[in-house]
Amino acid sequence: MIKKRNIFRKKFDVKSDGHRYFMRLNFNERVQHMIFLICFIVLAVTGFMLKLPEDVVQKFGNARDIIFFYRGILHRIAGTVMILVSLYHVFYLLFSPNGRRWLGDMLPRFKDLTDMIGTMLYYLRLREKHPEYDRFYYKQKLEYGALIAGATLMSLTGLLLWTEEMWPKFLLDIATIVHAMEAILACLAIMVWHMYEVHLRPRKFPIDNLWLTGLIEEEEMREEFALHYKKIMEDPELRKVYLVAKHEEGDTSLRA
Amino acid sequence: MRFYGLLTVKSLILAMIFMILQVAIASAQTEMVTDTENCLFCHRYPNMGRYDKNGNKRIYYVNEKLFASSVHGKLRCKSCHIGVDQIPHSNVKKVDCSSSCHIKEPSTGKEFSHSNMVDKFRASVHGGGTSDTAKRFPEDLPSCKYCHDNPMYRAPTGVWGQSEALINETLARCMGCHTSSHWAERFYSHFTHRMRKRRSQEEIVALCTSCHEDQEKMARHGLESIGTYKDTFHWIQVQYGVKDAPDCISCHVPVGYSAHDIRPRTDRISPINMDNRVKTCSNQGGVQSCHPGATTQFATGRVHAYGMKAQLLASENQEDLAVNEDISLVIERAEEDLSSKELFHYKVLRLVKLFYKILIAFVIGSMLIHQGLDYVASRKQLKSR
Repeated sequence: MIKKRNIFRKKFDVKSDGHRYFMRLNFNERVQHMIFLICFIVLAVTGFMLKLPEDVVQKFGNARDIIFFYRGILHRIAGTVMILVSLYHVFYLLFSPNGRRWLGDMLPRFKDLTDMIGTMLYYLRLREKHPEYDRFYYKQKLEYGALIAGATLMSLTGLLLWTEEMWPKFLLDIATIVHAMEAILACLAIMVWHMYEVHLRPRKFPIDNLWLTGLIEEEEMREEFALHYKKIMEDPELRKVYLVAKHEEGDTSLRA
Repeated sequence: MRFYGLLTVKSLILAMIFMILQVAIASAQTEMVTDTENCLFCHRYPNMGRYDKNGNKRIYYVNEKLFASSVHGKLRCKSCHIGVDQIPHSNVKKVDCSSSCHIKEPSTGKEFSHSNMVDKFRASVHGGGTSDTAKRFPEDLPSCKYCHDNPMYRAPTGVWGQSEALINETLARCMGCHTSSHWAERFYSHFTHRMRKRRSQEEIVALCTSCHEDQEKMARHGLESIGTYKDTFHWIQVQYGVKDAPDCISCHVPVGYSAHDIRPRTDRISPINMDNRVKTCSNQGGVQSCHPGATTQFATGRVHAYGMKAQLLASENQEDLAVNEDISLVIERAEEDLSSKELFHYKVLRLVKLFYKILIAFVIGSMLIHQGLDYVASRKQLKSR
């Protein structure tokens, strides 16, 4: 296992030697992210196929009814898997130590508001540095909140539409609108908010490997999440959880 | 003399061969079309036609082969084109499908006529109505020929699945007794023609929308344009060519109903009348079941999207929408057709949509600004190091 991970790190992280790393996403969380990501893409593609203009649909030719059939099946499978992952995530948040820590760090606080104002001032060059962020800062908390709200709404309306015959048509009409508009919102938000964060941001281009390795460099950690960095360095318990030793030492805490 | 005599014998034989050939060709032709009136004497020429007073091109050419394989291929021309007695043709009446032709209807032995269907059609929504309930703008209403265009009998495939062997097997059984293959195939086609849908779902929608999508024409009759169908999942399925996808007639003329007898939804026998909705959605005459578990609540909901009528009723000043069109009849009918409950539903749906539009614009807009600022700041920070 260790060998495998080293291959991973060498492939994606050329500066691995002599650096200290911190765990941002543990193995479990990375798998959750991966499954959710695949489901999201499948759902978006198969879902928006219903909104294609007529002439594009015609280009599918005689196979279009078969395409439509598999579109429906895939959409339902991906939807079910996404609901299951989401439920598992709730379970993870409530019953696993790492999950509980995640939940605690993710809850909104007053500091988020001051952070937001501080960051705006920094963006407008009224401040030299942005505020010291904890493990999750306001932007990530908002995104996470939007994800939870979106996933809940999409699951509920999706299940309603799946079992359409049991419900009044008016409810289904609302569900149709919400499902479609929420999908547009989610896809746009992912493109503008999340894709920027992990792809386009100057230091991240072309892609941040964090989603695969789960690791963040000490230097970046100190800059981006200064408060969290301090907390970890001061607390030996947290050091055990987050600090990953230099990889030459054959560290085993990667799977946290 | 001898030589001369031989020549005459030779030429006589040649002449006979020619005559036999001619008779053979002629008899082959008469088997194709029963042209006892010799109309094809002129009408067989492809260039035959003229421009009428309005400048429209009228084509009088009859393609013999095509006509022979059409459903009316066995009829004489004058059976339908009444009044064609002299040349040039004057005093010709328009073809009336309810007139009797000289073919015997086998079940009663009387002269055949489509009048049963025509009577039904006249009483339906598409008919002109009776003298006291005559409709405005009768020129907008479809005639028989608007939908029926003397269709071809298709090759005898596609009824018992796509198996050609099975079709040949069935036909072979007919021809065991009915030895004329031409007759047997025609009779077989006569039956099988009615056992399959002639038009695909997309073609049905195209046919109905050729009138019903015309907003002005519909407004004249107090109807709204049928673009509202194209906002439904039903239409998406039709677009993708899904088998048994619901087109217009799937719900408006389900199994057991006649397309000639479409009634308004207030009529008790209409399949989209509230009392018949569950059956229409769930189980059409035991043949097709799209929503087998449909409840009353599900089935009595609105299937088409809300259109012009809801818009008109919901808007404060209806005159603004009625700028160029005479839509007073639509407004009048809207109040009858839309219940206050439906209007409430429309308003709620509109609100939900508006809410989401604002939400998307706000969220994505502020995200863009935020990320733009972040980009500038990060670049600056990166450069300063």
